[in-house]
Amino acid sequence: MEKITISEDDFQKFREFFYRKVGIQFENSKRYFVDKRLIERIVQTGAKNFRDYFTMLRFEASGQELQKLVNVMTVNETYFFREEYQFKCLVNSILQEIIQHKTDKQPIRIWSVPSSSGEEAYSIVIYLLEHWPAIAQWDVEIISSDIDSDIIDSAQRGHYSSRSVQYLPTTLLIKYFKASADGYQISEEIRSNVEFTCVNLMDVAQMRAYRNFDVIFCRNLLIYFDDMSRRLASETFFDALKPGGFVCLGHSESMSRISSLFRVRKFPEAIVYQKPGVDL
Amino acid sequence: MPIIKKNNPTLAVVLEPESPRDLKELMAELEQASPTVRRSAVRELSEFEDSAEILIDRLKHDKDPSVRDAILTSLIRLGNSFAVIGLVECLRSEDAALRNEVIEAMKQLPEKVAPIMGDLLSDKDSDMRIYAVNILESLHHLQVETWLDGVIEHDTHVNVCATAVDLLGEVGTPASRTALNHLKARFPDEPYICFAVDLALKRIGED
Repeated sequence: MEKITISEDDFQKFREFFYRKVGIQFENSKRYFVDKRLIERIVQTGAKNFRDYFTMLRFEASGQELQKLVNVMTVNETYFFREEYQFKCLVNSILQEIIQHKTDKQPIRIWSVPSSSGEEAYSIVIYLLEHWPAIAQWDVEIISSDIDSDIIDSAQRGHYSSRSVQYLPTTLLIKYFKASADGYQISEEIRSNVEFTCVNLMDVAQMRAYRNFDVIFCRNLLIYFDDMSRRLASETFFDALKPGGFVCLGHSESMSRISSLFRVRKFPEAIVYQKPGVDL
Repeated sequence: MPIIKKNNPTLAVVLEPESPRDLKELMAELEQASPTVRRSAVRELSEFEDSAEILIDRLKHDKDPSVRDAILTSLIRLGNSFAVIGLVECLRSEDAALRNEVIEAMKQLPEKVAPIMGDLLSDKDSDMRIYAVNILESLHHLQVETWLDGVIEHDTHVNVCATAVDLLGEVGTPASRTALNHLKARFPDEPYICFAVDLALKRIGED
């Protein structure tokens, strides 16, 4: 059998495709990681070479192979300031609108789900502290949830590899982390600002307790779900949000394809989804 | 450092989920004026296997879009024969919006809809047959092309065939060529059918 190899052109083609679909950009330094997993999938699907596999991947109606590929390529793939444009949108546009319409003094509530190992929730805290001056006037409550209790323990510990913090500006790394022999420990002051909980988004009764959020970050989770689960998740988010609240999804995800209940809001930094402002 | 404060009383609620409610309680909540309360009841009703009839009844007269959306999600989640029978019943409604919602919901139940697709495609009402073809539009099922071939081979109503042939132009394979040519022969005086068949054949050929 012919030995399967991934050429430079193949890698570039795949990298562009994968970024468009999933929002994850592989640097040249990830070449070994990507090639190894791609070749595994090519062999397991019985494709003859990269070209055959890639054609199947692009045109397969069910999207099942793309899903399998995503799973092997994105295991614990998260890092600080991932898809940073959405954090910019949070501080420059979303929160400004929320405080403009806010009639009470209750804290602004942000829900980050799934928490994974905590990078997203802690990124939000850091971003608010660094880029949202109104934090001096407003209380913000940040809750982060995941179905995996082990990963929540890890998030609560707040210890990260150099890979997780690779996109953080050095000034922030110095300011909020302490270097250790095997990585970086996030500071207690950041850690104490996030409450982590274990949840199953598909559990309707459990989800009844999650209400009155102003903003939900749910990025790169729905791509793992089938149509039914996406629909259930969108229902959960609708109920969890205050009227006028926002959902931020991942780069390749669209609420419009799941539910017609949300309004599409195009801010300069990002497209997000908003629950209508009145209780219809 | 500015304050990002955790609001402990609120979190206490988050950490202690409420216990599920019984059917009677949820049915009472369906009559509440608040859509938020009705939505919540509808979502929990999906936990009850025998709630399809209650949900279908509510779907027929609740005007709130967010409640209707939740009802359809709950029916899809239930996905039992009672839910499917209720959805089919709604397809016969005069309410076009309801029919469209139901068609979208049924597309998401391929394994449950498949056993009744034959009956839907041979319903005596041609509108019902058109709705059945509409369901096939994005039903993830291996038999879609076979069902469509059956429609264009046997259905006597030109509009049903026209709907099916349009869809075959998108999902058809060379296996549909014979049925498409037969259709053209069955309706030689219908210019749209001839046009649509030629277009479908061209698209299939290009594939």
